[in-house]
Amino acid sequence: MQAKTLLAPARRRGTASGLAVIALALALAGCGNRADSDYQRQFFAFGTLVDITIYGASTKLAQQASDQAERQFERMHRSWHAWHPSDLTRTNRLLATGKPFTAPASVLPLITLGKTLSDQSGGLFDPAIGRLLGLWGFESDQPPEGPPPDPKRIAALVARHPSMDDIHVDGSTVRCSNPAVQLDFGAYAKGYGVDQVIAGLRKLGIRNAIVNAGGDLRAIGRHGDRPWRIGIMRPRGPGVIASVKISGDQSVFTSGDYERYYMYKGKRYHHILDPRTGYPAWGTRSVTVIDRDGARADAAATALFVAGPKGWVATARRMGIHYVMLIDKHGIVHMNPAMAKRIHFETPTRPKVELSPPL
Amino acid sequence: MTRADIVAVILAVALLPVLYLHFWSGGGFAEQVRIQEGNQPPHYYSLARDQRIRVHGPLGDSVLEILHGRVRFVSSPCRNKICVHSGWLSRAGESTACLPNRVSVQIIGQDPRFDAINS
Repeated sequence: MQAKTLLAPARRRGTASGLAVIALALALAGCGNRADSDYQRQFFAFGTLVDITIYGASTKLAQQASDQAERQFERMHRSWHAWHPSDLTRTNRLLATGKPFTAPASVLPLITLGKTLSDQSGGLFDPAIGRLLGLWGFESDQPPEGPPPDPKRIAALVARHPSMDDIHVDGSTVRCSNPAVQLDFGAYAKGYGVDQVIAGLRKLGIRNAIVNAGGDLRAIGRHGDRPWRIGIMRPRGPGVIASVKISGDQSVFTSGDYERYYMYKGKRYHHILDPRTGYPAWGTRSVTVIDRDGARADAAATALFVAGPKGWVATARRMGIHYVMLIDKHGIVHMNPAMAKRIHFETPTRPKVELSPPL
Repeated sequence: MTRADIVAVILAVALLPVLYLHFWSGGGFAEQVRIQEGNQPPHYYSLARDQRIRVHGPLGDSVLEILHGRVRFVSSPCRNKICVHSGWLSRAGESTACLPNRVSVQIIGQDPRFDAINS
């Protein structure tokens, strides 16, 4: 009897310990499964490093989807290359003739979209300034280097006012009335490309994914029971300045003066040119835009960068953009109130913030 | 001790290394470095083992260094050296690349702080 009373609690403890071990083992197994459902792949395409993250799909489907994405990016890169022979360089030669021609199917959607976005931005986003970008050395496989071009040549190109309004579209027939126009899709091709790839993933049945092309991304769905967590790099410095949570379907695009640039006599000459002056837009270090549409976010990031700390609110309203963070040349963070609610600073000390009126 | 207790203790002891590797180890499954050249299959290295890694790209050799749980580009045959200037990476999810030499490096972890980096 005594033995029984002594043994009984021991048995209960034993059973409890056994159950605890089994529970722990199951919990660990659960962790393993969750990690397995996060598929990630990196590849070089589109002139940059592309990162595809897929959650909650079988490995086989995720592989198929990222293979398809890689092929899509490679095809688009070949079609839209601004200085290697491509559908775009062929289009530019035909535009310069002033005669009507049938635009290649790979280029036509970007022309019509470029016209709309350029109009909405008041011309601050202008894909027609390819000649200026070439003059500055930003259309080259080699990193650009100084000195800056002859001011007279810059002024002469600006005086010819190349603009998307000079391109006339009738169905698939295109004609250009200004020989100074030369298209360069660099300011929105990545956004448009990411949109196309996301559409392709969805067709395959992918519901939760991030397509990140060299730091500009579109995210759909969620990461399981939580939103996607996106870090925003500090302009010019190592590390993340802020983070934002994304779920559903949103794009996060940043334009910065640190992406393509050279230093000459202590001054930074970067690739975001102001079409009104022909020179790099001064006053801003980076602009981050959140919008559903990747192409619009991409174009808006460029337009708002050119608009600068004083003009970005008006341009954002014209373009229908609702979330903006602009970091000016002094490091001051300008945001609209809706963006400020979403931004979480990751820096040890909070940067100086100036809130704009609501957009 | 009952038989169940003995089984529980044996299981718990057997699980210890698994738990350690899973939650605490600087190496093992939880913290690795993924290094990729071009679109070749990536190579994985433990962050716990200090070493230098030479990766052959189209321009020449990029040299990476793993030291005290961090990784960085030591040198690369590119012009701008953006990869070298980006410094040490130590958190899961962080990555950098030498685009001209087509070499990328990323830290892989169980629960990265960020799912993607916008730049």
